[in-house]
Amino acid sequence: MSESKQRWRLVFARDEEARYLSHLDASHLWERAMRRGQVPVAMSEGFSPRPRLVFAAPLPLGMLAEHELADLFVSRRLTRREMRGCLEAGMPRGFRLIDLRDEWVGAPALATELVAADYRLTLLGVDEDRLHPAAEALLRAESLPRERRREKKVTAYDLRPLLLALQTRAAEAAGLDRGQPAAGIWMRLRHSQRQGSGRPEEVVAALADHLGLRVEAFEQQETEKPKGEEDGEVRPSERTFAPSIEPATAALLEMVRPVRERLWLDGEAPVDATGPEP
Amino acid sequence: MHDRVDTSQAGPEKAGSSVPRETVPGPHHAPPPVSPLAVERVLRHVRKPGRYAGGEWNSAVKDWASIPLKWCLAYPDLYEIGMSNLGLRILYEVLNDRPDRLAERCYAPGVDFQARLRSDGLPLWSIETRRPLREFDVLGVSLGYELTYTNLLDMLQLGGLALDAAARTDAEPLVIAGGSCVLNPEPVADFLDAVVLGEGEDVVLEISDVLEGLGWHRRPDRTPAGRGRKSSGPGPRRTEALRALARIPGVYVPSFYRPSYAPGGALAGLEALDPAAPSRVVARIAADFETSVRGIRQLVPNLAIVFDRAQLEVMRGCTRGCRFCQAGMSYRPVRERDPQVAVAAAGAILDATGYEELGLTSLSAADYTYIKEVASSLRARWPDVTISLPSTRVDAFTVELIDAAAPGGRRGGFTLAPEAGSQRLRDVINKGVSDEEIERCADLVFGNGWNSLKLYFMIGLPGETMDDVLAIAGISRRALQAGRHHLGAKATVKASISTFVPKVATPFVWAGQDSTDEIGAKVAALRKAIHGRGLELRWTDPRISILEAALGRGDRRLAAVIRKAWQKGTRFDAWDEHFRFDAWQEAFAEEGLDPAWYAQRDIPPDEPLPWGHLSCGISDGFLASDYERAMRERTLADCHWGACPECGVAEATGFRCRTGEDGPRRLLPSKRAAGRTAASEPSRGGTP
Repeated sequence: MSESKQRWRLVFARDEEARYLSHLDASHLWERAMRRGQVPVAMSEGFSPRPRLVFAAPLPLGMLAEHELADLFVSRRLTRREMRGCLEAGMPRGFRLIDLRDEWVGAPALATELVAADYRLTLLGVDEDRLHPAAEALLRAESLPRERRREKKVTAYDLRPLLLALQTRAAEAAGLDRGQPAAGIWMRLRHSQRQGSGRPEEVVAALADHLGLRVEAFEQQETEKPKGEEDGEVRPSERTFAPSIEPATAALLEMVRPVRERLWLDGEAPVDATGPEP
Repeated sequence: MHDRVDTSQAGPEKAGSSVPRETVPGPHHAPPPVSPLAVERVLRHVRKPGRYAGGEWNSAVKDWASIPLKWCLAYPDLYEIGMSNLGLRILYEVLNDRPDRLAERCYAPGVDFQARLRSDGLPLWSIETRRPLREFDVLGVSLGYELTYTNLLDMLQLGGLALDAAARTDAEPLVIAGGSCVLNPEPVADFLDAVVLGEGEDVVLEISDVLEGLGWHRRPDRTPAGRGRKSSGPGPRRTEALRALARIPGVYVPSFYRPSYAPGGALAGLEALDPAAPSRVVARIAADFETSVRGIRQLVPNLAIVFDRAQLEVMRGCTRGCRFCQAGMSYRPVRERDPQVAVAAAGAILDATGYEELGLTSLSAADYTYIKEVASSLRARWPDVTISLPSTRVDAFTVELIDAAAPGGRRGGFTLAPEAGSQRLRDVINKGVSDEEIERCADLVFGNGWNSLKLYFMIGLPGETMDDVLAIAGISRRALQAGRHHLGAKATVKASISTFVPKVATPFVWAGQDSTDEIGAKVAALRKAIHGRGLELRWTDPRISILEAALGRGDRRLAAVIRKAWQKGTRFDAWDEHFRFDAWQEAFAEEGLDPAWYAQRDIPPDEPLPWGHLSCGISDGFLASDYERAMRERTLADCHWGACPECGVAEATGFRCRTGEDGPRRLLPSKRAAGRTAASEPSRGGTP
């Protein structure tokens, strides 16, 4: 274990090239990036020491991001300029460094400071005129009892307190068939270790229910391993932004271009806000 | 809109991904990529979409409009396997280092991905710029394993190409195959426009230059109007290109030859149909292997792959002369990398990739003259990088090397490959290792902290008796005793059994495989003999081995069988969950052919061989005499130290091998340093 002399808070975006990474694969990519850039990263304690790079919240596979957060602990003090140089020298493709802040080493863990996350995505199969009242109805509801499945376990929960804001918009036009109904949607969801976190696909499912539309179901993806090869690492199953339904029974409401716009830390965002600042 | 993929993927120029930007003025053929929305709607429905998404470190995303000649390197197995292939990493760099060339990649689409492409009516796209395969000038196919042939058909069909080379129009790419399987490409010859024998580093550039010289990239039929035309079969441009390719040393154009068959099924003769077709094609070798390293900025995958490490080839070829081993024979002459060049290259590769592990690859790493000094100098300079030495040589030196390479590291399993259980049979196969050596290795392995030893064996080897088979149990038990001595009940020995497959370019190519019943009896005997605490027995499906042998020794009539089997839905045949032997049997039967005739028959020494016009450099005369020697249970010394057995490589290639007394196995250009070059296919073709 190497002592952490400095803690850098990384603000970064994830673009198309890095979009289909799982969280574990992304961590691996960053480790190699730090080797390429010769970042003097501090190592964790334990039997198999890992570089101390801690992400605020895993980003689901398939999701783009504009303002993600991670803390990087280094074993030697660097200037901001040096740190940026090291990182950018080896930065994995598809990741963009937006900001870099020198944090107090003893500050609380990033994940415990998270309070909310903003998402935007495009829905195919509905237009804004039809979507808007459904969004309003969700916001008016006192509670939104729903079920969350993880493997075979089903948990009942209330989505409403997790939904902090919801807005409909015109669809981002790029690449859409003309004539196909589409709408944009923006939401702010609670993202908190203590108070729970909402997921954008669950909000979309609630909207679909309200509209009487079917939506793609989501499942855990199992990873597979090539036969006869024992060299490949086995990866635990991970949540991905991938529906399980076969095309023949495809959903009537389809989500495309999901983006996590921003993660909010305690004290940064008005958590009760009903919408983003203009 | 259509430019989106290009611009976003090119991004700002970054160190490490510094593939040179093209300077050649356009405009060249630059059709639109598959629409990003269509891509997204496919990728979010498939398993591990990262396989098809690209964005890997060191991948090259170039501007199509400014590049004349475009390759797509296609590997007919999953991403995890294909990305592990060093040959592909090398050719990718060789082509992309040239500003006027471009190489993208495509791997076999997983079953879910291809179903989705078909239901959405989308073509199979290249990873880098997501363009359909049919838009490229050349489709370079790597054939390292016979059981990927059905995947090749999937890739051709989904990529928008005609399966039959004879039906391809001028608009379609040239399909050029390389890799260890093409020592006998005849079973897939109908699907290929051309084949490159041997090592590919130099010849891919020669092919590119020839094609650009002919204006292949400007062929007129690629306009949308031309594509709409219902033409079938090669136009004048295609025929002209094939003639030019056939004149390049090492390039074989199957359509310029027509085989005929004798009543019994054997090859009767081969007729050359074109004046450009040479009577014999000899494989290429890379002449500057010792002093220059290609494949520095190796692709770094975005998801875990089978061999997830940087690779540096320290030696190519092998002089040990194991008679079953295709790689050991066909990559001669043996060449060793200059130690300073190796260490410098290792540093450059680690810097360029960020990999935490480096494999020093060769067919037998311990045979590399400088292995100790290179490994220790790498350890000194990069103490936190794991150095791995894949090697199956069985001797104390190897164990010591691997022990030193992983000081205090993970001590999981250690693998040794005695290949045969008895001394007698090891002499037959020329695996020069004694019982005592195997036991000494087992003692060292367990004494140095490993608690599991895996032993590789083959059954069904030529001349094998049941005593030889049962000797596998004996040697496994003695290895376990060594383990018990050091570790008590914690020690385990895993005996891993595969069925012998006769390989082209080896002395055993004439030997038939055992029948399924014989193999079954041998496995049953081993199951009885190998059991109990600490002993484990694993065997591979012998039906897979039949197919490997039949396709490996097959002729052109098998093209129809492969196509039939594929139409019946076979694909990913090497994967247990997809392997459908019944479909293959039906396909053989419907074509009036018998897999046993191809796999299990002893081929008479005077019978013409379907691949007889193709040579890796080793002479058939040498192979035949060595087979005879094997049947007399006579060994042949490692020709690095022993006398030259005159395998024919020196004559065929124009290079003289340097023997042990001369120093390292350096290539000495003799009077006519004929052009021969190397497709650095790592040891996929056979077990050394």
